[in-house]
Amino acid sequence: MKTRSIIIALAIVLTPFIIGIPLFLVKSGGAIHEEANFISDTRKNNKGITYKGIKVDWTFCPDWEYKPLFFHAEEYLVFMFHYSNDNEYNVQVMPSYMFASPHNRRYSANEEISMYIENALENKLKAEDQTPITFEIPSNATKHYIVTFEKPHSLDNFYVDVDVFRDVTLRLHYKKEDGEWSNYSNELIRKYKGRG
Amino acid sequence: MAMFKKIVKNFGPEWGAAVMGTAAICITMQLSSEVARPFSFLLYVGLGFYLLATVMFVTFLIPWTLRFFMYPEEIKKDLHHPIRGNFFPTMPISFILAGTGTNKLGPMLFGPWFAYHLSIVFFFLGAVGIFTFGYLLVRIQFLHKDVRLEHANFSWFIPPVSHLIIPVLGVCSLDVYWAETSLAPVLFIISMIALGVGFFNFLFVGAAIWHRYIYHIIPQGRLAPTVMVGIAPTAIIVIFLIKFIQAIEASQGTLFGINFMSMFSPIKIIASILWGFSFWWLILVTILLFTHYVKIKDHPLEFGWWAYTFPFEAFAVATGLLAACVASHFLYGMLIILNTLAVIIWITVVFGTIKWLESGAFLKPQH
Repeated sequence: MKTRSIIIALAIVLTPFIIGIPLFLVKSGGAIHEEANFISDTRKNNKGITYKGIKVDWTFCPDWEYKPLFFHAEEYLVFMFHYSNDNEYNVQVMPSYMFASPHNRRYSANEEISMYIENALENKLKAEDQTPITFEIPSNATKHYIVTFEKPHSLDNFYVDVDVFRDVTLRLHYKKEDGEWSNYSNELIRKYKGRG
Repeated sequence: MAMFKKIVKNFGPEWGAAVMGTAAICITMQLSSEVARPFSFLLYVGLGFYLLATVMFVTFLIPWTLRFFMYPEEIKKDLHHPIRGNFFPTMPISFILAGTGTNKLGPMLFGPWFAYHLSIVFFFLGAVGIFTFGYLLVRIQFLHKDVRLEHANFSWFIPPVSHLIIPVLGVCSLDVYWAETSLAPVLFIISMIALGVGFFNFLFVGAAIWHRYIYHIIPQGRLAPTVMVGIAPTAIIVIFLIKFIQAIEASQGTLFGINFMSMFSPIKIIASILWGFSFWWLILVTILLFTHYVKIKDHPLEFGWWAYTFPFEAFAVATGLLAACVASHFLYGMLIILNTLAVIIWITVVFGTIKWLESGAFLKPQH
């Protein structure tokens, strides 16, 4: 191969790495401003919910700021759920999550944004996020799952459904009071099992 | 200007394969970055591949499109060619892959709203192109008077593969944003039609190619890379199945009345079986390559080497997604190995392509 061809080929194959590695260093070095303000952790005041031997706790950040490279930063609602198995046997869970707010805004968690922020979150909370759709929690162990929701503008109340149990859904209610988010109630809602 | 005209005239339908082989690495990188923290930088390398694939896509699309208007007789000749004709859908596939990359990595660049809307534009453009070329190529094949047994080769899988790839972006879109919108049933129906077309054409065409491989001599060395395309159909169906179940899961366990709990177990079994077939095929390709083509020294440098990239990467993606459902530790380990191999293959093919261009073969297409 001629030298010119080798240089062209090298330029092509190195491009993704030349773009990617500095971006990674800039992002992980904190040079791009991203805010994270965790306002509550149910583990601290023992406010988690236990059902059939599985204790669900959550850490909540109402304004995680994620900055796309070419666009302005947007705020996200971020939860890290902590599932503890108090049973004497292992359990397999398949949690899913849904956000609902007034004006019938309902949507599921954004796994992509979770992926982009998970390193920062794992470092901050010293917990490892689960990747598989389903995961096993050994007896007396805890597993963690990051959930990110896009945040509608002028949001002042919402609820999140955590679908982790076979027969009930855990619903977490939040509202803004004097500019602060308050987790004013949590409930277990029985699932409808009929055909109609 | 004369040089540009020459490039347009000789810009064959197969160039989309280079975009495909580059674009799919961004997804293998993204999946690999999820495996463990030491690999998290791979997400950003994936972003680099996404940007490179975008530049290639735009650069190749210009001469590829101009050729239809400036040299329609060349297009007609290629469309009727029993091998080259099958490469026309590679450009519409590139639309779908650009859409998938935008869906997965676009939010890092433009934020979710813009990325999800842009990817849906790619979905419709890609789907129109794939169905158009699909009908055109089947019509030509049915009416062609000179298609012979020795023309059958695995590049014939490209049109079925092109249809199979549509539902991948369809369900990726349902997973993140569109499930709650009025566009959801449209995406679902188009995806299911394309899946049906791709799946049955894969079976029918596969039988025809198998027939040639058994009852006739196998193709000469320059077509050797096309054997790799055989990995793609089942690997892509695995990707579709896992993304579909993720879309159902994200919709609180029910999408179009399809229930997550009742679907997850059968999908795990079916996806594992299909993944197994792709894995078996990968070993078959290796055996054929080294015990036949390399042994008889009949494996010339061709643009067709790009056929080694995308199917292999699709298999790596299938492995990474299947790992989210079964045998996680084993398959995640395998994903990292496959991702590394995919990059090595891609680098080899890029160098090979530059060498091939240097040889002047681009201006003397073989028919």
